[in-house]
Order: sequence, then C-alpha cells, then structure tokens
Amino acid sequence: MDLTTLGGQFIGIIPLGDIVLYFTTFNLFMFAAVLVFTVLIAISRTESQVEAQFGTLKDREKKVGKAEFKIRRFLAIVCGLATAGAMITGDVFDFTLFVALIGIVNIGIVAAVKEIDVLDSAFQYGIIAMIASLPLFGGAAFILASTGTLSLLEIVNIPTTTLMLFGSILLFLGVAGETGVAPFFATKAEMFRTPGSPFLLIIHLSSLMVIVRIIEILLIINKPF
Amino acid sequence: MNLMADILLNVIIAFLVGSVLFGLQRKIMARIQMRPGPPIIQHLLHTFKFFIKESAFPKTAAMPFYIAITAMLCAIWVAAVIVGPVTEGSLLLFFAIYALHKIVEHNAGSSSGSPYGKMSCVRAVFSAAAELPLFAVLIIIYLKTGTMNIGNIVTYQGHYGPLIWGIPLAAMMFFVLILSKAPYSPFAITKGKDIISGYETEHFGLLRGYLMISESIAWYMLLWVFLTVFIGGLSPIGYLIGMVLISALVALINATTPILNPNHSIMVQVSLAFIGVLGSIILLTVY
Repeated sequence: MDLTTLGGQFIGIIPLGDIVLYFTTFNLFMFAAVLVFTVLIAISRTESQVEAQFGTLKDREKKVGKAEFKIRRFLAIVCGLATAGAMITGDVFDFTLFVALIGIVNIGIVAAVKEIDVLDSAFQYGIIAMIASLPLFGGAAFILASTGTLSLLEIVNIPTTTLMLFGSILLFLGVAGETGVAPFFATKAEMFRTPGSPFLLIIHLSSLMVIVRIIEILLIINKPF
Repeated sequence: MNLMADILLNVIIAFLVGSVLFGLQRKIMARIQMRPGPPIIQHLLHTFKFFIKESAFPKTAAMPFYIAITAMLCAIWVAAVIVGPVTEGSLLLFFAIYALHKIVEHNAGSSSGSPYGKMSCVRAVFSAAAELPLFAVLIIIYLKTGTMNIGNIVTYQGHYGPLIWGIPLAAMMFFVLILSKAPYSPFAITKGKDIISGYETEHFGLLRGYLMISESIAWYMLLWVFLTVFIGGLSPIGYLIGMVLISALVALINATTPILNPNHSIMVQVSLAFIGVLGSIILLTVY
C-alpha cells in the first residue's frame, strides 16, 4: 500500500527537520479549503442575530461587541491554522497536538460569549475534550511504541500489529471527543446558538475536516491488505 | 478532449440533469399525493429566474461572508464534478467535499442573522453529527476493494461484479445519505417547512440562483457516485436510467413519509449507520 491509494496523486513533501508535511491531491485540497475559509473569517464582519421577544411584537438584536469580536476572530484564525496544519502533517504526534489545540480554541471562541446556555455547553464540551486528550495522546504513544516511529510516511510501510490497532482505536476515541462529533455532538450543537457566524464556521469546519483526515490516518496505520 | 472543455461540459450536464431530476421528483411526489404538481422543468426555470431577479441583502448579514459562502458552495460542487466524472479521483476527496458542503450549508443559514436560518444552522450541526457515521461507508468500500480511487473501484467491479451485491448494507447507508439531501425527505431537517426555507430563507436573487445550481449539481453527483461505486461504470443512458430510478424511489419515500423531528431523524440515521457498519463487517468477515 502507498499514500496514493488513499489520497490520489502524490504531489510532494516539505521536510522541516523531524516534521515532514506531505501533499497528496486529497491533503492539498483540504489544506487549501481550510485556508480559504480562514481568510474569509479574517476579513468578515459578524451578523446581527434577530430574535423575537415574548410579550411584545418587537424584535431583539444580538450583536458581537468590539472587544469580544477581536478575541474571537483571533482564536478563529488560530483554529483555522491548526486545522490547516492537521490536514498536511505527516506525523501522528503533530496531528494530535493540532487536534488538542483545535479543542482548546473551540472552547475559547465561545467562552467570550455572555450567554448561560452557550457557556454551559462550552463547559460540558470542555470536559469531554479534556477527557479525550488522554486516549488521543495515549493512542499516539501506543503507535510509537509498536512501530518505533510517528511518521506516517514510515508507518505506511510497516505491517499492522494488534498494538497498532489498539493505538488506532484510542486515537479515534480521542479525536471523536476532541472534535465533539457523535456520540458527543449533543453538547457541542448548543454552542452554535450564539451570534458570530464566521467564528462558528471554524468550529464546525475543524471538526469535520479532522474527522475526514483521521479516516486517512487510520487506514494508513491499519493496512487491511 | 481538452480538460477545461471536459470540466465545463460535465458541469453543465450535472446542472441540467440534476435540475430536471429535482423537477421529476416533485412531479412524482405530487402525483402520489393526487395533485397535478409543477412541470418537470420547474426547478430549472426557477434557477434561471433567480439570476434575472433583483438581489437584496439583509442589513443584519455578516458581510462579505454571507455572499462568499454561496459562491463557495458552487465552487465545491464544481470541484466534486472534477473529482468524479472528469478525473475519477479519490473517493476520500469526494467525501471531503461533502463535509465542506455541510459546513457551507450550516453557515449560509447563520450568516444572514435570520432566526430561521439560525435554527437551520443548529440543525445542520446535528445532522452533520448524524451523517458522519455514514462516512464509514468509505472504509467498508476500501476494505472490500483495496482502493479509494473511483477508476480502480470501477475496474474491480468489472472483475468481481457490482459492489451492491457484495456490500449491500454499505449501499443502504449511502442511499440514506442521498435521501437526507433530497428536499422534503424525512431527514431534510435543515429545510423543514417549520423553519420556512431553512438556510435559504434570506437568500434572494443571484445568491439563491447559486444555491439552486449547487443543489442540482450536488444531487447529480451523489447519484453519480452511488451508481459508479456500487453498480460500476455505466453508459450515459445507463446513468440516466439509474438516476431516474433512484430519484423516483426517493420521491416515493418523500411523498409517503413526514419530515422527522430533528432528534428522531438523527437517531434513525445513526441507528441505520450502526446496523450498516456492523452488518457489513460481519458480511466481509464471513465472505
């Protein structure tokens, strides 16, 4: 098996010492898409959320304040860059670091919002993300222990062992918790009730892109053929 | 054929066929419900109509995000056409495009500031969480064929027969994914009539035109991938017949079932995904 079986044409690598970034058509597309969205977030204003009021016919407008806007935009850009990094890294440990960073900034993006329901949701998601960091890094540690390397370009040539499979399961559980997908989505969805559409995009984008990337990584580690 | 001409031709075919299939779907649904229904080309005419209508933007919208997001939706489905019929590239890449579609759907709703769009946005997050397990269909196809390349999957089926007989539960899971993208389907919670038009509520004129083009191309591409991956490389007539049959089946389901409550919709999708994954693994192990 080689990387082109999964991601299409192999375009090249960027060696940065121990850290090697690699590009297939799949990785390059995801990387470029995330960067485009990040630029879009950086230059956009936020919407005013219009809500109906009880007991009157008037509407209520919810806006993002200037100070809140600045910090949320900064965190959204950090999240976008971390997601872009996770799309092209060829190192399992770097991938877990990027995913952990995404989890942290996702909480930060909504933590500045002064709404009890949203903060409750962010708090619950934060607990799950913290718990998930153990299997996330534990999975990477098991893969290192069983293969002697964390480089995906090397792992792709190593036959799969039971310990690698166990490490992959831990890695998947860690990513599921950090990104807040099913079965953890119930806590995360409530975070999207706050205004600030461009910032919410990056929370959703990072989760889905990381899930798609982890499928590639798991199939590189666990070679069925 | 020149690559650019090939892309352009395929995008135009995807748009026209997708639009007519949507119209056909509405017509079949109407006849099942004893209504005359709109003409089959209604969706196509609506799309053209929006391009000559005046565009208006809500003053509450997040600019330029609100405008850019609709263009992005169009761009990603054009990319899907390039990955699919034009180059027969990686299936993994196609699913990455589908994931981006979910994100754009989510933010098209929230960027307008409308409460209906916002509700659609929250539902899109829920539905994405439910549709993700269906991505497992990718892994099942890979375990069966040993490749993610669409061209190689077609070659595999040339030797061993259509995948729909080998991994029928994976085909069922992909069909659920298709069903969830159909308007009026039991899983179409992001565009339920209780929230007007969902994420499209505040998009008018040109922007609505972009959204409708994207929907048509998306529908064509989902059907194309299903037919290519589970039945094999077909002739253009074969694709057309297959697409009409699937659209008719979807119309039958949509006409006879109500839109589910969001929680129920997700539970049904997750349950079907769970049954599909477990059943497929058992089938792969036994055979």
